[in-house]
Amino acid sequence: MKILSKQKLTAAFDQLAEKAELLVPMQKGATSAFLPWPEFEPGRDELRLEALNVDKPPKDAVLPQTERMYKFSASGPEVAVQEVYEISSPRIVFGIRPCDFRGIECLDQVFLTRGYADGFYQSRRDNTVFIAQACYQPGPNCFCNAMGVDPVKPQADVTIHDLGDGYAWEPLTPKGEETTEMISDLLQEKKADLPEVKPFTRQVAYAGLAEKLKDLFEHPIWEKLSDPCQNCGICTYSCPTCYCFDIQVKSFGEAGYRFRCWDSCMYREYTLMAGGHNPREASRERFRNRFLHKLQFFQERYGQPLCIGCGRCLIVCPAGISIVNIMQELKEVE
Amino acid sequence: MAEAKCTCSNPLVPGLVEVVNIIDETPDVKTFYVRKPEGGVPFNVRPGQLAMVSVLPTGEGMFSVSWQEENDHLEFAIRRVGLMTDELHTVEIGQKLGVRGPYGNGFPVEECKGQDMLFIAGGIGLAPLRSFIKYCFKHREDYGKITILYGCRSYADLCFKDEIFETWPQMKDTEVYITIDREEAGWEGHVGFVPAYLEEINPSPKGRVAVICGPPIMIKLGLKSLEKMGYTDQQVISTLEMRMKCGIGKCGRCNVGSEFICLDGPVFTLEQLKKLPPEW
Amino acid sequence: MKDIANKIKAIAQDLLEKGEVSLFMGWEQGEFEFQTRPFFARTSQDAEKLIFNEYSIHNLANALLKFRDGQEKIGLVVKGCDSRGIVRLLEDLQFKRERLYIVGVCCPGLKDPLEAARAHSGFNPQAAPAPLAAKCRSCLQPNPVIYDQLLGEEQAPRSEGERYAQVHEIEKMSADERYRFFEEMLSPCVRCYGCRQACVACNCRTCIFDETKPQWVGRETSASDNFMYHLVKALHMAGRCVECGECERVCPVNIPLMLINQKLIKDVNQFYGPYEAGLNYVEGAKPPLSVYKENDPDDFH
Repeated sequence: MKILSKQKLTAAFDQLAEKAELLVPMQKGATSAFLPWPEFEPGRDELRLEALNVDKPPKDAVLPQTERMYKFSASGPEVAVQEVYEISSPRIVFGIRPCDFRGIECLDQVFLTRGYADGFYQSRRDNTVFIAQACYQPGPNCFCNAMGVDPVKPQADVTIHDLGDGYAWEPLTPKGEETTEMISDLLQEKKADLPEVKPFTRQVAYAGLAEKLKDLFEHPIWEKLSDPCQNCGICTYSCPTCYCFDIQVKSFGEAGYRFRCWDSCMYREYTLMAGGHNPREASRERFRNRFLHKLQFFQERYGQPLCIGCGRCLIVCPAGISIVNIMQELKEVE
Repeated sequence: MAEAKCTCSNPLVPGLVEVVNIIDETPDVKTFYVRKPEGGVPFNVRPGQLAMVSVLPTGEGMFSVSWQEENDHLEFAIRRVGLMTDELHTVEIGQKLGVRGPYGNGFPVEECKGQDMLFIAGGIGLAPLRSFIKYCFKHREDYGKITILYGCRSYADLCFKDEIFETWPQMKDTEVYITIDREEAGWEGHVGFVPAYLEEINPSPKGRVAVICGPPIMIKLGLKSLEKMGYTDQQVISTLEMRMKCGIGKCGRCNVGSEFICLDGPVFTLEQLKKLPPEW
Repeated sequence: MKDIANKIKAIAQDLLEKGEVSLFMGWEQGEFEFQTRPFFARTSQDAEKLIFNEYSIHNLANALLKFRDGQEKIGLVVKGCDSRGIVRLLEDLQFKRERLYIVGVCCPGLKDPLEAARAHSGFNPQAAPAPLAAKCRSCLQPNPVIYDQLLGEEQAPRSEGERYAQVHEIEKMSADERYRFFEEMLSPCVRCYGCRQACVACNCRTCIFDETKPQWVGRETSASDNFMYHLVKALHMAGRCVECGECERVCPVNIPLMLINQKLIKDVNQFYGPYEAGLNYVEGAKPPLSVYKENDPDDFH
């Protein structure tokens, strides 16, 4: 198999960064995220390829937090759409974990199927290459396997496997082959064994839950589960599969642009209608909607859950709410 | 002024239309007639479908198309309730607006052929039903008896006054019942809420389809009344409303259960509605 | 602390059994040792789960806002900073004193479960949680300032060097340097509004950032919109922030938010002080910026 020695990693990054915007997992300041390779400051920042994952999932490569849509001019009765910002510059996300990559696949279902393909998402997605790093050692909060993810076989453009002193490099798609060409001089053909797959410490039983949830909408357990929730939105912003967005406008006199930005179903304003009616006024209702979306509605609509088992919400929720705990309680309820 | 680009290949980017007529229906409802600057409708619409109308510097809003007049223009009856509609109500004839669509599933106009039709509307809820009502009148022979029940807070709030008082009652085999919430000087007609009036009129469910739209509370009470009157879940259709932003089933906010009102709705039979969480 | 925990459980069970409260807010144990989380007991049986340990850091006064429109009586456990949060709610007329049964705990300084969770997760291999949570290392008032019952031994205030040390550092910078400093500090902000939701002083029914007519601050994560959000929020806190530090603790991208709040606490002390928000409850009292006096200083820079 093809091997990229770790000693040649920075050279590989430099070569890839010449052809595309290369995003690599790194710790910058107090947070880790997928950031452009040229922004890496040796001595100050640290690469996180060997860590389990990063704080901010790379969904912003295809769905940025803020994205301009189109520019317009508006002068009295005359209005014109002037430029549509469909970004087609090439991008490579190096080292995305299989759980986060399954998140991208969920986003593909939302944005590219069902009657309409979202032009902005499609443009970014078509021009982004995902190099996924297989996961052989699950962390204490990991449960991707329970949510249908195979941690060692992500179907990305290229899959890499950490062998210790190098990465086994496995192109899987034509885009992957093209990317392999960019660093072909740095790859060696060698025999190597893939690492041993370590077991998951966390056992989560999702099977059958989507079906059961159909009858639990009015159950009083939702009050108890939602009690400590502050509706802060931190879970939605840390989640690799949360995709809800707002569309807003900025105008300056006779010109302006429409943009979209992440939004959260946790906020009261999310479903507040102009006339004042709000189908999900209470915190409990919004809480219930979020978890039903993750565990039931998405499964019903697209055949897979909208939770991919990365464990981030277990870490970041200020109220200590855990989707794993919720799944357990819902499974046990009469 | 730069050339207007109408890249409708991207479903989130609007095309442009010009306002060619504005009708003051009530103190807070106006009907806007729009067509492409070069003439013609921006797209064809089935009764019950929706479109996103934008005052480009201010915002976008999803509205039902209350009628498509052949290839001449689209009509939107829009109530002034918020930031964007406030601005919309100040525009004049000749103003260019953004529009994109058509969205939503529309009414099952084919499946209802041969049936008697009962239309129940409250407030601005008559706007989406109007496209179905006018479709029935356009294809009069395809539908049986038509009964229209329409209620508003006051006389001033009644929309499409010419049609509800003159044109429609004169159509073949058609009955129009109007009610307002409270007694008013000069009003000789019925006074009372729509669901109660509905039970009073009591049109038989036999061979009839009921289509209901209005504020959520009115729909909920109306559905109960229809059930009491013997209508089955398959005989009752409603059209729902939720806050919408993208209009194409992507931004997530207009969901009722696993269905998106902008994409899978807004029209649902009661049978379909009962399978969804009662959160609308 | 085990002793305090047992006392809390007993008090809660007693209050719930007698029907003196409908709800008792405390903490329960999660899966891992550091996973202590807020828990609302509604029955004496529920109250069996109540604990109090070194990770009971959450400000339960903030949770009261969920119940502000109700009539039920609520019992809750508060430490020094949280009790100042209750004073904040009372001064802001968001809650009635008669509805509360306050169990105060003199606080020795606690650990941050979020920090422990991050260190445990495998995401940051070098991270080791500090012995005390960042917000506890400097604490003006570890002892509850309002309570119906007090538990634990009185604690001395803690400080980590001069109170406004970092504020002074930044005040010494030029305007350009300050701009760059804050631009870098606020650039990871994803506008999740976690800081707003965790803040007990943020209790407007419709937050200024959710108004549409007009929209005061845009939702883009650009430098200008991020700046506006944080500065406007901090100014709304001026004279009201009780320094509980929850905003900074919950931030998912670890922005040191208390820095801006501390500058305003210092300024309020300087111009309208001495004044520390929420240190004692006097009915009818208002924070300094909620009252206008003709001779108020107005030569800020």
